[in-house]
Amino acid sequence: MRQTAAHAPVRLRVDPLACEGIGLCAQLAGDSVELDRWGYPVIEAQLAAGEVGAARRAVRACPRRALWIEEVDNRR
Amino acid sequence: MNDDTLLMPVVAGRSPASFAGRAPGLLLADTRLRRSGPADPVGTFLTEDLAEHGARFGPRPRGTTDLLDVVDQAGLTGHGGAHVPAALKWRSVLRGQGPLTVIANGAESEPVAGKDGTLLRQRPHLVLDGLEILAESLGAHRAVLWLHGDDEGARRSVERALAERYGVGHEHAARGFQEAMRRAQTVRIEIVSGPSHYLSGEASAIVRALAGGPALPTVRRRSTDPLAARSLVHNVETLARLAIVARGIMAPATRLLTVLATSVHEGRAVVEVPLTTTFASLLEGLGESPPQAVLLGGYGGRWALWQTVADLPVDEAALRRAGTGLGAGVVAPLATGACGVRQTAAVLAYLSSMSARQCGPCVFGLPALAAGMEDLAAGTGGRAVVGTLLADAAVIEGRGACHHPDGATGLVSSAVEVFRVDVEAHLAGRACQHSRRVVLPGLAQ
Repeated sequence: MRQTAAHAPVRLRVDPLACEGIGLCAQLAGDSVELDRWGYPVIEAQLAAGEVGAARRAVRACPRRALWIEEVDNRR
Repeated sequence: MNDDTLLMPVVAGRSPASFAGRAPGLLLADTRLRRSGPADPVGTFLTEDLAEHGARFGPRPRGTTDLLDVVDQAGLTGHGGAHVPAALKWRSVLRGQGPLTVIANGAESEPVAGKDGTLLRQRPHLVLDGLEILAESLGAHRAVLWLHGDDEGARRSVERALAERYGVGHEHAARGFQEAMRRAQTVRIEIVSGPSHYLSGEASAIVRALAGGPALPTVRRRSTDPLAARSLVHNVETLARLAIVARGIMAPATRLLTVLATSVHEGRAVVEVPLTTTFASLLEGLGESPPQAVLLGGYGGRWALWQTVADLPVDEAALRRAGTGLGAGVVAPLATGACGVRQTAAVLAYLSSMSARQCGPCVFGLPALAAGMEDLAAGTGGRAVVGTLLADAAVIEGRGACHHPDGATGLVSSAVEVFRVDVEAHLAGRACQHSRRVVLPGLAQ
């Protein structure tokens, strides 16, 4: 996985096709992920510095490999 | 040559004088279609062959990367609905080096939309010019014209045009053209017909299908591999405009619109009007009475009260400044006497049925929106139904792989606002003042 510089704003992303609403992400990264009433993750727009570690744990824990972290792209 | 004669509106009720003196545009003439389905004209079928096209526009210029600046300066935006600047897509593609597929998207999915199908029937060579220019400019390895499987009329028109260009049965007429193509090492255009599903016109679905997958939307994780396969999808009207600006001609300051008749006994009109045309003059020109409301952008669009948009121009930039938009140019007025809540419930049921059933927010969210609006229309929902509808719409927004659920959420929030009086009447359990009939086409009653 590509390393992102510590200062660059990053966000947690979900591939909604892969996601099956298992919900581990909301348990591991509750500050940045909530579940909707059907059990699918609603993710905040950008991760605060203190939330990145928990988000990385959520990425690793997802049984469907549906999560990833990427730099916030302001080009489009 | 006087082009005005070609632009005589053929739509009844619209006087030729109303838009007289305008510059040559994209369409040969305004046309009339049935209420929904492929854009086969009711009445005269007009099409421009290669010789007429050449006489009108002159030879097609060769596409180079220098065109990026021209596209940028012309302010060319995507006419498939999103109005993303074309230059943005070009730059994104130019950052990679992998094999590139360029795609002309002629699959109009909105049941009422018919302007792309009309353009492909009337001016196939202008669209093909645009696709070839795009392929040359960006160095594409593959150029595809993508259609809905049920749009046989568009397919016939483009097949005939390609036969002319590639010299099949037209060896003499196309000889110069073929030589120019060979010199420019232009890739040959393939026509690919996808399924006729609502979502098979969605850009990521097309790319997925052309790579051998199903024609369903997908999410692409940003690739770090510079040699990853690239693709660029432009709407066919966008490419027709590219073919004009690439010749150094100003793109016509017009907009192609599909306007649904309020009467269920009449069809659609596909018209080309100046950007300054207001909705009031558009409907007046088509012989329509002022409606109560209008659905802008089609079934994935938004309702607007007639008095709030009547004096606005059809120019997308102006509409966006006013907080609305016309997407792919679909205008569906709702006559006084029809129930907006009932129409919205029927449209939501349709959108829900057209989900690709891939993403949780769409799989569960769209049926919830459709059921809530149906409860409201039937007067069986209780007072909480509106709050639940708006809360669900807000939570679903932006969370699908594609924007299909966002069309439904915009429809819900705009309907609750625009049809406030009807909503109150339904909530109070009073019989709806309006007819319960579904007047929008292609929907279950």
